[in-house]
Amino acid sequence: MTNISKIRNFSIIAHIDHGKSTLADRLLEYTEAVSKRESVDRMLDSMELERERGITIKARAVNFKYLADDGEIYDMNLIDTPGHVDFNYEVSRSLQSCEGALLVVDATQGIQAQTLANAYLAVDNDLEILPVINKMDLPSANLEATKEEIEEIIGIPADEAPAISAKMGTNIKDVLEQIIKVIPCPEGDGNAPLQALIFDSYYDSYKGVVVYIRVKEGTVRVGDHVKMMHTGASFELVEVGTLSPFGFNPKGMLTAGEVGYFTASIKSIADTEVGDTVTLLDAPADEPLPGFKKVLPMVYSGIYPSDGARYEDLKDALEKLRLNDSAFLFEPETSAALGFGFRCGFLGLLHMEIIQERLEREFNLDLITTAPSVIYKITYKSGEVRFIDNPTNYPSPDEIEEAAEPIVKATVITPTAYVGSIMELCQDRRGIFIDMKYVAGDRAELHYELPLNEIIYDFFDSLKSKTKGYASLDYEPDGYKASKLIKLDFLLNGENVDALSFIVHSDKSYARARRIVEKLKDNIPRQLFEVPVQAAIGGKIIARETVRALRKDVLAKCYGGDITRKKKLLEKQKEGKKKMRSLGSVELSKEAFMAVLKMDE
Amino acid sequence: MKKKLMLYFHIPFCLSKCAYCAFFSAPCTDEALKAEYTDALIRQLTSFENAKDYSVSSVYFGGGTPTVLGPDRLVSVLSAAREVFCLEENAEITVEANPKTVTRDCLYSLRQGGFNRLSIGVQSFNNGTLKKLNRAHSAEDAVECFAMARSAGFDNISADLIFALPDEDVSELRHSLDSLIALRPAHISVYGLSIEAGTPLEQNYSSYSFPNEEEEERQYELVCRTLKAAGYGHYEISNFALPNKEARHNTGYWERTEYFGFGAAAHSFFKGKRFSSIAHTERYIALTKEGYLAPTDFDSSAVLSKTDAEEERVMLGLRLSHGVELDRGHVPDMLLREGLAEYSEGRVRLTEKGFRVSNAIIGILCETDEK
Repeated sequence: MTNISKIRNFSIIAHIDHGKSTLADRLLEYTEAVSKRESVDRMLDSMELERERGITIKARAVNFKYLADDGEIYDMNLIDTPGHVDFNYEVSRSLQSCEGALLVVDATQGIQAQTLANAYLAVDNDLEILPVINKMDLPSANLEATKEEIEEIIGIPADEAPAISAKMGTNIKDVLEQIIKVIPCPEGDGNAPLQALIFDSYYDSYKGVVVYIRVKEGTVRVGDHVKMMHTGASFELVEVGTLSPFGFNPKGMLTAGEVGYFTASIKSIADTEVGDTVTLLDAPADEPLPGFKKVLPMVYSGIYPSDGARYEDLKDALEKLRLNDSAFLFEPETSAALGFGFRCGFLGLLHMEIIQERLEREFNLDLITTAPSVIYKITYKSGEVRFIDNPTNYPSPDEIEEAAEPIVKATVITPTAYVGSIMELCQDRRGIFIDMKYVAGDRAELHYELPLNEIIYDFFDSLKSKTKGYASLDYEPDGYKASKLIKLDFLLNGENVDALSFIVHSDKSYARARRIVEKLKDNIPRQLFEVPVQAAIGGKIIARETVRALRKDVLAKCYGGDITRKKKLLEKQKEGKKKMRSLGSVELSKEAFMAVLKMDE
Repeated sequence: MKKKLMLYFHIPFCLSKCAYCAFFSAPCTDEALKAEYTDALIRQLTSFENAKDYSVSSVYFGGGTPTVLGPDRLVSVLSAAREVFCLEENAEITVEANPKTVTRDCLYSLRQGGFNRLSIGVQSFNNGTLKKLNRAHSAEDAVECFAMARSAGFDNISADLIFALPDEDVSELRHSLDSLIALRPAHISVYGLSIEAGTPLEQNYSSYSFPNEEEEERQYELVCRTLKAAGYGHYEISNFALPNKEARHNTGYWERTEYFGFGAAAHSFFKGKRFSSIAHTERYIALTKEGYLAPTDFDSSAVLSKTDAEEERVMLGLRLSHGVELDRGHVPDMLLREGLAEYSEGRVRLTEKGFRVSNAIIGILCETDEK
């Protein structure tokens, strides 16, 4: 059995692109868990999409041995974490499985909003934080300023912080030695009643659900009958072990302080929710580990196959994705404009984008997606309260006693030069200023209360463009707030196009209505008849444009009976037609539809 | 019973390249090349198998500017065609001409040699515009050409005009139309200028002002209205004729009459196949010397599928004012409601409003047809 004092469990937390995955690779490489020959860049990110975007979506854990300068062999567990606000809860469960965290900071960029958010999460989870300053190979690296920022903003000493280049592989040993020194060994009693924290799970077509756990107390063995303390599901364990960079290493048991996995022919990841506590069926712990939360989607959108005939394919694909992602929800929905599709719930915009991209890429589907919506809380005159995630189901104004929208607490970190334009942006997006701190160097940390519905309306892109990409954003949900909300409808040729409806604050309704109507006008190809484009609130038209009828096409000569060009033209038209979607009597391309739905100013 | 066939002869030579022309044609002053090309056309003619099985209703010499070849060579090719094929007694025999390339004697020789229809490329009566288009002739040349043609015995004369020309508006177009009507051609073709990639017009696009969509629409309306008032029937999208003077050759294209094209870059619709010969003058000549370019040498081209043929029938037939036969069920109500098409007695035909957007309508009708 592993000596608990020789175990180190840690995560790496960082802002996107600050080098988390590269450092993970270097650590594994250094300890020869992976020979260089076999190393695939960023091996912890096993999904193709993750690798391409350089971000980690789902947590993974790897066990490796390190022979330290003190002559002892240490058992190292590296738990990788998702680095985005959408996956905060998953991050927190991963952090709960560790005693420490490496906080990677890019020496050329300093602390970013995500660095800070993750650092706070680590502090909240009582982790020892070991700052690591990366990208020292770049000429613009500023070690002293970065150290100063870490000390000032996060409030942890950075004197001893290893200054490394994960890319070049310099000073990696320094990091490993510091892990041994700074991060405490786990505590726990191998003989106590079993309490193991689930921090991730995924579906494997051979083994069933593979559940990642950190054993807090007690011991778990193959053949044990275990119970999930929150979902109540129980299983007999088939395989228990650790994960090497090469794959499963079934050791038969895991004991207090260890990190690993088990399988039990589990069919559905819904039975093994992240944050749940595993205990023994016949000798259960008195209570589950703290902090379990059911994750709920925050952003909803309709997903439709471009080609209606591929509805079943889309359904299969969604089901497959759902196998590995319990945070993602979907149910069938029908749109008069788009036909049969699904209403899908996501943790946030990135999560939504990832799912959409995987559907298109891995399942080769061509999709039409409706504008994202948040969940509105509607109190009816009757006293009934309902949560509405689809503008189509939004009640008429006379039924509503009170409408409330989700609010978030947002943190923006920015060079001070952009404070003015960020304040302007937040104000424009109905933000309420909470406070601002000037932090190390020339940077400021702003706190705002913002409606989530404004954030999903291209807030992030605007922020990036107003600050030349320097500002970073992080946010967390902060309940509901009553608001003057109205539903905007759009009519093409007098017919309501349900897929275009959305909910907006009444102060913004006219401007947005105008904007969308103009976009529709610009994107709808001219038809053989005039098409009125209208925006309406509860039947009252508030904006109108007209797509004029097509008036002429070329009347060119066909020389000497050469009709090939005419035929080509016809072929081209037909190709174009195939890509057209009918919205009522109006035809427009998928690109045009998506351009209209793309929420930008 | 003999099979109906039309003949097309392509003459890839001209005086000077027009600014809008993207067609296979180049200025040529090389008399030896012209002579060789003439011989090649005759060689290709005589290699045509079973030519006597066909009854030829129309012969058309197009280009380029066929008259650049000179009347004697044109007549010798026509005579060879007469020997090889059976030409119908009243066959339409057309030659295209540029006003600058003909003299009275030349026209007289052509008429005597058997040509009975002359198609004159007038394009515009505005000298400024003709210059911009790099046309070799003036408005006065066109008027003179008409007089010469008439005195040479041509009574069936067609003229081409172009609208939507650079820096022209309705008033300039009206001048061209009135000038042309005064000359009383039997037939008038009016095409909208299309700016083709690689032409001088395209390369100097920004130095001209081209009419916008509304202006172009006004111009087309003016053409239709003016010619109708002058007694010309609008029998095809771009073509107008005095009674019984409709171009049989062109109408044949739209009705899918079969034709064989002789010469370089000549297109054919023959035995249910569409093909074209090599677009290279010298290589064309060489191929005829090696005994190629008879119809059987195009055997590898695919016969049009039923769907393709039907699509062609609709696409081409809709250019004619009498339209095409089509099931009512294939015609969307929208077209009738918007006044773009009419339907009666099993035929759909485009209205004048429909002619203007014929490509879009053809797209719709061909699509419906597939279902």
